[in-house]
Amino acid sequence: MADERKKISKKTLTKAFHHWYYGHLTCFSQEHMQTFGYLTSMLPIVEELYDKPEDQKEAMTTYKAFFNTEPQLGSVIVGVTAGLEEAKANGDGVDGETINGMRAGLMGPIAGIGDSLIVGTLIPILLGIALGMSTGGSPVGAIFYIVVWNLIAYFGMHFLFFRGYQMGDRAVEFLVGKQGSAIRKAIGVVGAMVVGGVAATWVNVKTAFALKNAAGKTFLSLQTQLDNIYPGLLTVAFIFLCWWLMSKKKISAVNTMLLLVVIAFVGVLVGFFNPGLTY
Amino acid sequence: MTISWLQAIILGIFASLSSMPGMGGSSIGNYTLGRPLVGGLVCGLVLGNVQLGIACGVAMQLVYIALVTPGGTVSADVRAVSYIGIPLAMVAVQSQHLMATGVDAANLAKSMGTLVGTVGTVLFYGTATMNLIWQHMGWKYVDQGKFHKLYMVDWGLPWISHLLFSFLPTLIMTKLGASAVVALRNALPMDGIPMKTLFTVGSMLPCVGIAILLRQIVNKPIDFIPFLVGFTLAASLKLNLVSVAVVSLIFALLTYQLEMARSSHSGGPASPAAESNDASDEEDI
Repeated sequence: MADERKKISKKTLTKAFHHWYYGHLTCFSQEHMQTFGYLTSMLPIVEELYDKPEDQKEAMTTYKAFFNTEPQLGSVIVGVTAGLEEAKANGDGVDGETINGMRAGLMGPIAGIGDSLIVGTLIPILLGIALGMSTGGSPVGAIFYIVVWNLIAYFGMHFLFFRGYQMGDRAVEFLVGKQGSAIRKAIGVVGAMVVGGVAATWVNVKTAFALKNAAGKTFLSLQTQLDNIYPGLLTVAFIFLCWWLMSKKKISAVNTMLLLVVIAFVGVLVGFFNPGLTY
Repeated sequence: MTISWLQAIILGIFASLSSMPGMGGSSIGNYTLGRPLVGGLVCGLVLGNVQLGIACGVAMQLVYIALVTPGGTVSADVRAVSYIGIPLAMVAVQSQHLMATGVDAANLAKSMGTLVGTVGTVLFYGTATMNLIWQHMGWKYVDQGKFHKLYMVDWGLPWISHLLFSFLPTLIMTKLGASAVVALRNALPMDGIPMKTLFTVGSMLPCVGIAILLRQIVNKPIDFIPFLVGFTLAASLKLNLVSVAVVSLIFALLTYQLEMARSSHSGGPASPAAESNDASDEEDI
């Protein structure tokens, strides 16, 4: 073969990564979601791989297809496409349809894993720890979160993008395969326990219900009784109630909140709740 | 406490950066600046009372600890929570003469912030809908082969959407809302039913946030166990969160090894049958 193999330079890949890192959601709409972020990310790669304007146009057309996933974990998909586009430019039997089939097949699972792993577990764990550090109005926790989260997000996404480019869809197997699923379950345990800790430390639903004798002295405080059974019992009960309403009764979060307003209002009227406010 | 025009302008810029979809990008914008804890720090710095800002941020963060937006559906808008809700809550707490780090201040902040955050979803849909105009222009540029215009479409033009749906609402709400909040203080006495309800709701709202998170992890009742163990460690044994996290690592390790052992036995991803076997094993123990 006279032509030498085309290869995307490290510089271009880094540029493509930065375009994705910053711009995956800046021009978001319900209709096209992350499509424009994807286009800007692939543009440097397409321009380097193809010299002719019509080839560039043909390549860019591939990425006009709808795209939406969890964008941070989804860096791996963009990396895989970069590798596939390179293979396509070298005539390795990859076409635009293959690339789009792969993208469409991956964005669902990666969105599910990313939402529960990153947004649903990692961020709450970091925030939970940061909340503890910010007790009493200290900025330390907020600064801790800003630094740690951004380091993890930037270098994690960088790693996933380049891993995707180098390994192709094998990079994704690691995430959805046996070992990946075992790691996910293990992290889920950490997440659930830390969330339990967050709830116990920060959420505090208390009742003011008490029985008083003729002299006005309290002889039975329901809150003290409940704490003797299991500290935080009322808090756990309310969390279970909200969980049950939302996941079993399919009531939306906003309506669940409205229901709490009703419960609080009735509770205050009958004296079950009383925040004990005075000026 | 009042909010000056300059302070309102700075808050408006942060609102544009931090929303989902914001101009700071997801990692820095939505997931850093948009988190109420970080918003509390920013608002505290801008309004000149970091301690109060953080205290309100901490309170709000609990409600929105699990703000997952699957498929772009939102139940609350982070720009409204962090850059309209927190500043107004700060004004409210000060006008009610509550102790910044007290439980009452936190409950008031939660109620106010949640209200603003829920109403603020309008801003999310507004921004996303207006972006359709820029995207429509984008398709034309792609068809004409003017690819470099895509950068303007993705990074530049959405600022116009944010001017209308992030900057201006934040500017107006924080500037005018502050005096409304003070007026509210005089209208509603603290020992009246409305205020008592507001504070009680404030203490309950984080339950929704925690429940949203649990919905991600809990599919069947048995999945509640790790959550309850974590709760007990903190509530009854008084461990702090880092200690809870460290204790949880041993359970994570066991889970990992168990899962790996199970998958190497069955020689593939766990089948439904294998799972039901394991469930009955656990009951025997």
